[in-house]
Amino acid sequence: MPEGTDFLYPFIEGDERDAGSLLLDLARSAAGKHELSLALRTAVMASAGETLAAAAEAMAEAFAADGRLFSFGNGGSATDAASLAALFARPPSGKALPACCLADDPAVLTALANDVGFDLVFSRQLIAHATAGDIAVGISTSGGSRNVLGAFAEARRRGLVTVGLAGYDGGEMAMSADVEHCLVVPSDSVHRVQEVQASLAFALWEAVQARLGHDRG
Amino acid sequence: MADAGAAEARGAFGAGLEDDLARAALALARRFAGGATLWCAAPTWPEHARHVAVEFVHPVIMGTRALPAVSVVDPDLVPALRSTVRPGDLLLAVSTADDPTVQSAMRRAGAWGVTTVWVGAGPRPQPGAADHVLWIDGASAAPAHDGSIVRLYHLLWELTHVCFEHPGLLTIEQDGPLCDAVPGCITCSDEGRVAEVLEASADMAEVRTAGGSETVDTLAVGEVRAGDLLLVHAGTAIAVLERTGAGA
Repeated sequence: MPEGTDFLYPFIEGDERDAGSLLLDLARSAAGKHELSLALRTAVMASAGETLAAAAEAMAEAFAADGRLFSFGNGGSATDAASLAALFARPPSGKALPACCLADDPAVLTALANDVGFDLVFSRQLIAHATAGDIAVGISTSGGSRNVLGAFAEARRRGLVTVGLAGYDGGEMAMSADVEHCLVVPSDSVHRVQEVQASLAFALWEAVQARLGHDRG
Repeated sequence: MADAGAAEARGAFGAGLEDDLARAALALARRFAGGATLWCAAPTWPEHARHVAVEFVHPVIMGTRALPAVSVVDPDLVPALRSTVRPGDLLLAVSTADDPTVQSAMRRAGAWGVTTVWVGAGPRPQPGAADHVLWIDGASAAPAHDGSIVRLYHLLWELTHVCFEHPGLLTIEQDGPLCDAVPGCITCSDEGRVAEVLEASADMAEVRTAGGSETVDTLAVGEVRAGDLLLVHAGTAIAVLERTGAGA
């Protein structure tokens, strides 16, 4: 039986029936977050310009010398790493470049995780695949993923070009001597970080294509 | 350069994309509240299907509930979905509008009782092609790669979880019709419904519809085969919407 102060809050909990005001709130919230994401993107593109250009230059040189790109990350960053590899390997325009994502194969990932531990799932693959002159691109929203940092250490030992994408304050990735080019998206929203990291990945791809003489469009 | 995709996204937000997102989020929350699984497909960009699924299954924000979502990266999308989806489930696809596999899955979702969300960029799908269309207009190929599409499904996830704070709005009875594109009959009040052939005989076929399986008369449309997609009305097949093999 209803009692207490529920009558003061007619739209709370199970009694709410009209979705109109919720839909308005949701639309407003979506538009606001979208603006926030674009503003963050604009700010990062401006502040990261030099790092981005240096990373693109090093990557273009590596590709020109037959280097290959290996990308890695966890969770949503694993799918973003896959998107980045696909963009280089199967581009909508320009030159297709050798790239693959080390988070794509469940057999390899589970074998390594089960036998040697999850911290080593990417570095062990680099040991198998990578040689000097290849490129390692690691993505971590916190900047602190152990397996990503470990892969960067292995990549440097093997003479790869290393490019990192991080969020928040950049975490350990921003401090690591193993990451030659580190692009940080300064936000504490994982979603906004990933959205702008994807923009950075796209800008990297465009810049590499331009340096290889394949301006898109 | 890189700003082209963002400019298009901004324009689409001004033009009602935020309202489309709000309605899609409420539909998702209602279906989840009713026990739905979200099936995610992106034939050209499987990484987008995986990203959507991981968002829902393993939320980045502590305290938000884990929801059942599965990425379907089988190249034979329609058979993979057909054998697995249940009435009341959700299908979210990320693709261009001209992807024949996604077109077929979206058409068939009506016969499976599945609510559909189509996320993409470029020329839009036909009106009514999906229950919810979240689209970035324009000719650029960038949105699939520059974070614009990612932003769309991130927002969809965020809004869906806001809806869970409003349990009174999540009862399935409040959900609208699955598809406005098929009006009811003014004579007998039965609807034209999408049906997928399970087994066909001479003039009859056992079909799957949103409500279960039933037998319909196929005399008016000629020979049909298992997998064909029909429009049925008052126990009779009145049109063949898609033959087996066309995208299936």
